Amino acid sequence: MTYKDKLDRILLKVQKPSRYIGGELNSVEKDPEKVTMRFAFCFPDTYDIGMSHLGMKILYSLINDVPGYWCERVYMPLPDMEEQMRRHDILLYGLESLQPIKDADFIGFTLQYELSFSNILAMLDLAGLPVYAKDRPALTPIVCAGGPCVCNAEPIADFVDLCILGEGEEVNLELMRLLERCKAEGTTKHEFLVRAARIEGIYVPSLYEVEYNDDCTIKSITPTEGAPEKVRKRIIKDFDSVFYPDTFVVPFSEIVHDRAVVEVLRGCIRGCRFCQAGYLYRPFREKTVETIEKETISLCESTGYDEVSLTSLSTSDHSEIERMLGTLATYSDAARVNLSLPSLRIDRFSKELVDRIKSVRKSGLTFAPEAGTQRLRDVINKNITEENVMNSCRIAFEGGYSSVKLYFMLGLPDETMEDIDGIADLCQKIIDLFYSIENRPKGGIKISVSLSTFIPKPFTPFQFEPQPTEDVIRERQKHLMEVVNKKRVTVSRSHFDVTHLEAALARGDRRLSAVIYSAWKKGCKLDGWTEYYKYDKWMEAFKECGIDPAFYVNRTRSYDEIMPWEQMDVLVSKEFLIRENKKAHEAVPTPNCRESCAGCGVNRCVGRPCFEYDK
Amino acid sequence: MANTATKNMRIFFSKTGRAIYISHLDLYRLFQRSIKRGKLPVWETEGFNPHVYITFALPLALGTAGVRESLDLKLIEDISREELISRFNDALPRDIRVTDAAEPVMKPTEIALSEYEARFECDNAAFAEFLSSEHIMTEKKTKRGIAELDLKEHLDILERSDGYLRFTFPSGTEFNINAGLLFDAFEKQFGTEIYTLRITRTAIKCRNGEIFH
Repeated sequence: MTYKDKLDRILLKVQKPSRYIGGELNSVEKDPEKVTMRFAFCFPDTYDIGMSHLGMKILYSLINDVPGYWCERVYMPLPDMEEQMRRHDILLYGLESLQPIKDADFIGFTLQYELSFSNILAMLDLAGLPVYAKDRPALTPIVCAGGPCVCNAEPIADFVDLCILGEGEEVNLELMRLLERCKAEGTTKHEFLVRAARIEGIYVPSLYEVEYNDDCTIKSITPTEGAPEKVRKRIIKDFDSVFYPDTFVVPFSEIVHDRAVVEVLRGCIRGCRFCQAGYLYRPFREKTVETIEKETISLCESTGYDEVSLTSLSTSDHSEIERMLGTLATYSDAARVNLSLPSLRIDRFSKELVDRIKSVRKSGLTFAPEAGTQRLRDVINKNITEENVMNSCRIAFEGGYSSVKLYFMLGLPDETMEDIDGIADLCQKIIDLFYSIENRPKGGIKISVSLSTFIPKPFTPFQFEPQPTEDVIRERQKHLMEVVNKKRVTVSRSHFDVTHLEAALARGDRRLSAVIYSAWKKGCKLDGWTEYYKYDKWMEAFKECGIDPAFYVNRTRSYDEIMPWEQMDVLVSKEFLIRENKKAHEAVPTPNCRESCAGCGVNRCVGRPCFEYDK
Repeated sequence: MANTATKNMRIFFSKTGRAIYISHLDLYRLFQRSIKRGKLPVWETEGFNPHVYITFALPLALGTAGVRESLDLKLIEDISREELISRFNDALPRDIRVTDAAEPVMKPTEIALSEYEARFECDNAAFAEFLSSEHIMTEKKTKRGIAELDLKEHLDILERSDGYLRFTFPSGTEFNINAGLLFDAFEKQFGTEIYTLRITRTAIKCRNGEIFH
């Protein structure tokens, strides 16, 4: 019986079956006889989430454009589907071929968040493969991982064969060509890995020996067999002409981001000290308005989507944002397509921009001051003043908006109760501003405060910082609830349980592989889903492995401590991070990259300054 | 192109293969996207969020295939029947095919019943016994809650053999019975599972006995 027949027997017994059958518009089918390299691209979360991910769409099209190479999409089934699959001996399969992925040449995971780690094990197991790399002696499938979390891949080091650091548009194909050669030569898996480690951006964890000090900190990380001392992040130098798909697979069912997406720039000039993406995706590169327009039209026309989103870490930092919006609006008006603009910077919020967004869709406005006082905003280098916030709100209110969403972080380094009071004060000032405006919208103002918990991440100036303990976090949350204007402000808080685990995994070392294995054995998976998350099982797993999460979460790390990710080079120097950390504790902000160069080190690789400065 | 409706059209399509797993709501959005993608001259609603305006005569249950389903739309520009069909098919996923297009004759409210064809594997003797029972009781979700329903009362068997059944159930805007309910009732009563069930709606008929067109 084929997998299609087997699936036909079970799909009507699961929720939203169309996400498990493939065959969507623009999905790529190839003749298996003519395929030399099969890449099973796994997003370690459900279809609805994974199908929304832009990076996967880019690499999917890129690989499939190569004759003989076939990239398939694979997602984590929900428990109802997993149960049916296990009952009917259906191994995890690719949506394009409906064939088990254990027979693919590569099984590649994209790691977007730490809470997806346990899903790697769950998916390998569902694929019928051993979860530990050492138990998979054959040359194929090679299990690899990419995405931001591989900047510290140590917690999953025992499960994957190799990691791809940085942008995959070039290196993925180099890797596939190497495996194609090794298969032809009949090399061992080990030989392939040794050769792969010579490709820039490839990290093979098994080729590095890690020694620990008595206090469990790392003593040394030693490369073997010619693997590089430092694995250098790959970047695309000519971003304007980088490969971009002219079409997306259009899912049958509604997914989280169900629209066309155009990437307008990569990197970020801002340097917020808590933000890992802001450092990992450096240098700042943007596409020309013409390229963005071309990609927008091509995507909308080939998918039929009536909404297109301009995405990046900070879209309004595009040097030609106003011209871009003007050009795109001409197209979107004529084609009756909606234009949506996430991640707008508060201080770039001009009247024109408000009008532009308003002409598309009048939803609420979202600002991210992140901290309640100017002092703390200077600590985290969120270069926004209260005046910026107020000006933006005034424009918004006068433009007819009456609801505002504000993002804040709690537990930031050097945070005091005054900073928590500052959040409530800022909300009150916005409320007062609203009622002071004569032509304000009818009805009252609504402010939603989203209060997340600070999680120190590798390759940020805060990688040395502790996350406050549970007591401190709960006390500060409680304090905010007491001082905030409850009539006008609703506060949503992140769950301590979840941020605690994420904090441990983010800066963990190789010893955590045992914890992840143990937690998975206890049934942990889909940890990003509140209904499936089992914090107590995770804590049990830590305990059984004799590891205290506090070692990773609540400890201040000295500048000279060897970090578990010291062998990775994301092109931002540790000296720079230390410099920024010191400035943070002095509450001194750093100007954004466009104003002046802070010397992070990334232009070593660009070979020239990131921006043309006047002087 | 001015967004002014000039002509009503009824599009007939098949939904088979992998497309049977597409829910009605998702099918609605799929057609909207396909119309955009095929740049078909179809009237869109005005207002803040303009969208392609289409209506389906009779929803098809998830898991049931259809060979002559229909949807109505308004054209804003003259386009030949052949071109309309071919541009739809270029824009649609493989397992949904537009087979015909014409100006609507009947109203969806005239629909009275659907004809189905089912192929399945199960204990044939048990299934025969099931069909010959005096009542086939099941529960049906209605707007007012769950109601008891005797399927036997509404079932009209046209043809049967082992693993094959051709039958009709009432359909329409007022009262509609999902074909799958019959097989669910069998599974429930006989404590067995049918795994290879394939149901296809082969025709939609009106009160006067004519095929809906």
